[in-house]
Amino acid sequence: MAQLLNDQIQGQIKELFGNLKEPVEIMFFGTKEQCEYCDDTRQLVEEVSALSDKLSLSIHDIQADAGTARQYGVDKTPGLVLAGRDGNQVTDFGVRYAGIPSGHEFSSFINDLVIVSNRDSGLTPQTREFLKGLTKPVHLQVFVTPT
Amino acid sequence: MLAHQFAMESPMIQAEAVEAMEFSELANRYRVSGVPHTVVNDGKGNLIGAVPETNLLAEIQRALAD
Repeated sequence: MAQLLNDQIQGQIKELFGNLKEPVEIMFFGTKEQCEYCDDTRQLVEEVSALSDKLSLSIHDIQADAGTARQYGVDKTPGLVLAGRDGNQVTDFGVRYAGIPSGHEFSSFINDLVIVSNRDSGLTPQTREFLKGLTKPVHLQVFVTPT
Repeated sequence: MLAHQFAMESPMIQAEAVEAMEFSELANRYRVSGVPHTVVNDGKGNLIGAVPETNLLAEIQRALAD
């Protein structure tokens, strides 16, 4: 398959990734069943993860690795989890994508990698204080499109 | 993405960016007609459009109070 990210875009992303602090694991969940965007999404995260040694990629099958999928709350394919990694320890921050992060969403995806790597949400102290005190589960689903 | 920034701050928060055309059935269930559209706790809260941090926080508080 042809490269999805051209040299110019790779250069821009590498520049942004120069600021990455801590390792991030991109977990990809695909399926052997019908999945229109699984191959493209896998290729995209392969190309992105190759742009920094702070990034690693693990490939999972949502059926074969059902336990891992459940653990990370992944129920759609292609599915992505952006998790923190410290040595062998993977920290789930609840950051997920369902579907290919392309077009407009691609810049969100790259920014999310920076945020997760910096382990810093960038939110105001007031918001952080409220969120740290949460005792009930909150599930946010943000519907987006590539254009 | 703002929802992902929120998720970073609490293990209680899971935030999923959902590609609306690939998962159109789910998008239809929540009557998504424009993007971004944020659904809180399976429809207890809804936010249409790109909103500032304080609005998302208020909608989460409202959804939890229901």
